[in-house]
Amino acid sequence: MTTRSPARLIVALAVATVLAIFLLYTAIAGKSTPQLSPSQLRSHPGVASVVGVVVGPVAGDSHTARGLRFGLRDRGTSNGVVVPVVYHGDSPPPLFRATREVVVTGRYANGRIDGTGIVTKCPSKYTASSPKA
Amino acid sequence: MADLGRAALVVSFGLALYALVVGAAAAHLNRRRLAGSARNALLACFASTLVAAAVLASALVRHDFSFVYVAQHTNRTLPTVYALSAFWGGQEGSLLLWLLVLTGYGALAVALNRRLLRDLIAWVVPVLGGIATFFAFMLVAVASPFHTQTAPVDGAGLTPSLQNPYMVAHPPMLYLGYVGLSIPFAFAAGAMLSGRLDERWIVATRRWTLAAWTFLGFGQLLGAHWAYVEVGWGGYYAWDPVENAALMPWLAATAFLHSVMIQERKGMLKVWNMVLVALAFELSVFGTFLTRSGVVNSIHSFAQSSVGGWFLAFVVISSVFSVLLILWRLPLLQARTKLESALSREAAFLYNNLLLVALCLTILWGVLFPIVTELVKGESRTIGRPYYDFFLRAFGLPLLLLMGIGPLIAWRRSNVRALVRSLVWPIAAALVTGVVLIAVGAGSSRPGLIAYTFSAFVIAAIVVELVRGTRVTGSLFRLIGRNRRRYGGYIVHFAIVLLAIGIAGSSAYGTNVERHLSPGQSTTVGAYRLTYQGVDPIRNDPNRVGRYAVLHVSGPWSGTLRTGNVTYTGFNETDNDVGIKTDWLRAQDLYVIADFQNGSNVVFFNVLVKPLVNLIWVAGIVFLLGSLVAMWPDAREQRRLVLRLAPARA
Repeated sequence: MTTRSPARLIVALAVATVLAIFLLYTAIAGKSTPQLSPSQLRSHPGVASVVGVVVGPVAGDSHTARGLRFGLRDRGTSNGVVVPVVYHGDSPPPLFRATREVVVTGRYANGRIDGTGIVTKCPSKYTASSPKA
Repeated sequence: MADLGRAALVVSFGLALYALVVGAAAAHLNRRRLAGSARNALLACFASTLVAAAVLASALVRHDFSFVYVAQHTNRTLPTVYALSAFWGGQEGSLLLWLLVLTGYGALAVALNRRLLRDLIAWVVPVLGGIATFFAFMLVAVASPFHTQTAPVDGAGLTPSLQNPYMVAHPPMLYLGYVGLSIPFAFAAGAMLSGRLDERWIVATRRWTLAAWTFLGFGQLLGAHWAYVEVGWGGYYAWDPVENAALMPWLAATAFLHSVMIQERKGMLKVWNMVLVALAFELSVFGTFLTRSGVVNSIHSFAQSSVGGWFLAFVVISSVFSVLLILWRLPLLQARTKLESALSREAAFLYNNLLLVALCLTILWGVLFPIVTELVKGESRTIGRPYYDFFLRAFGLPLLLLMGIGPLIAWRRSNVRALVRSLVWPIAAALVTGVVLIAVGAGSSRPGLIAYTFSAFVIAAIVVELVRGTRVTGSLFRLIGRNRRRYGGYIVHFAIVLLAIGIAGSSAYGTNVERHLSPGQSTTVGAYRLTYQGVDPIRNDPNRVGRYAVLHVSGPWSGTLRTGNVTYTGFNETDNDVGIKTDWLRAQDLYVIADFQNGSNVVFFNVLVKPLVNLIWVAGIVFLLGSLVAMWPDAREQRRLVLRLAPARA
């Protein structure tokens, strides 16, 4: 009679457990958010994570009832669709201003994003800026 | 000068290609002189890459804007240290740094082991040559730092928030870690190609792996501290793909460092170790692909550069190569012994490995989720912080517990009674800690409570081990000196416990209050009372405009705190200059972010009290100390290894 190492059994059980947790998480607890650009919003009303470029003027205060107001346009375009954003919540992160690339989380309805979260992209080491002529 | 740099890179490419092709032919045909020639090519490749690096460094320091790279990343007002740090501040320079570190590491590792492991080294050289060929090709054909132009008057400069001492040290630390993982990968591949699959490749690369792992871990903590003090959002880790890109190979390397001990001691987990070393290497290159390709959204902005596709191709090719090698050598990778019991130290190592790899793959899944949903559903979806936090608890807390159990459980076979007997003190410490925490009202956060009781368990286990050992040797220092690897490991475990306490404390027990205040108004946050005294504008500074809010703080600490918004004139970039007061006695920070409202003196204050957050930074220093102890040359260990590996060499 041969004695089998329990190592394989342990590995198999561990893999099965991880898969089960994955399934449970994604089926029950997991919440994913669609990641859209401003121009895609019209066909996807509801909660979304919107990646775009801030279009000024940036006005108002995120801590007041009227909120912080600005526009959001697709990256890499200069005259595409500008979706208005009204943002309420914590102060926008440092580096937030017009022309910055941001990720706004919120609900899109009636042609407007009601933002609840803003992430301003950090200046990248790998984005080259133009030198002064 | 640019011509010299370009020429040096072309020479590097040629030498790396020679090391790959001729090295592989020499190893296959068992031609010793030819193998020596390939080895020398690898050494010369380092020398020529060093020349290219010197050319770029010189151009950066001299502000030679005829180099496009220099003009894009520096300007005349940039202090020399930051001008030099632009070497790794841009894509082309960072690729050059990668090649320089790779060939430097490779030349040293090959030179140190060329006599002891001649047959294995013959195959290590072409593997390292292959990796170097890829990077040299990228630098020659895709992303050269030596493109020239008519020199502009001034350069674009470096973003102010990157002009920080942490940013001088953090990226090269990560590169030393990422690239360092190439060495154990090359030795593992060399071992499989040569068929010499005893433990010698592990012994030869143990310190290389440890060094790479230390750099990667410490580099991440430096980056976290930079984010905490400089970016001004009150956090230090955001589960961003770029941060995860460094964490994933670190987790795989952590698993590898543990499981190689089982292979060294018991001859088990050989296939698993090969998988882990390949995984750590592939993840380090995959991380580079992530940060350069722009395929996933990140809080770090990336150029949609052309290098992403090349990196993806390299990851795919090297992964297929690794899998095929492992499959080919499966018959030679059979374990010498078998796991005898699910309740043994070997099994504890295995559980540790499975949890580490599970955590690593879970993070990978989170990073890839937007790409997968885009491919499958046609709509990119993200999973955020709750996903990562859930799995950090699900896998991290059992890992913490295992750190205490592992060192105290018997090798080969144990039973529940013996295990409980050896864990009496740690269990008692955990229970007492739990009861005390509940009594003082810290039971509000269940994960925090579990993390603290498990931490007490691990600390007690480490103390038990140290006390037992010191009784035998008579001195703690002598004990550590006798087995630096083991006790260095315990110091690292202690650092991880500090990290866990710091993370749990700052996230589960923190206080956050937001208030609009006018000058003269006060607010209370925790035990602190903050009075907004007035505005202090920046005066006579040609580079910065802005203003600071001055706060008087009373409570556990009394004094003045300044926090404000600063705009860097040359960049039109406004940063939050946060006010941080560290209370070392309580290991907590009072962290204040100010946001001036539309030109008035009314300020929106975001005040955070972050208990135990400083233990995270202390953990970094302890981690470094433990790693150094574990890496320190140990003549006694060397003799043990020579004796153990003697039959393999015969």
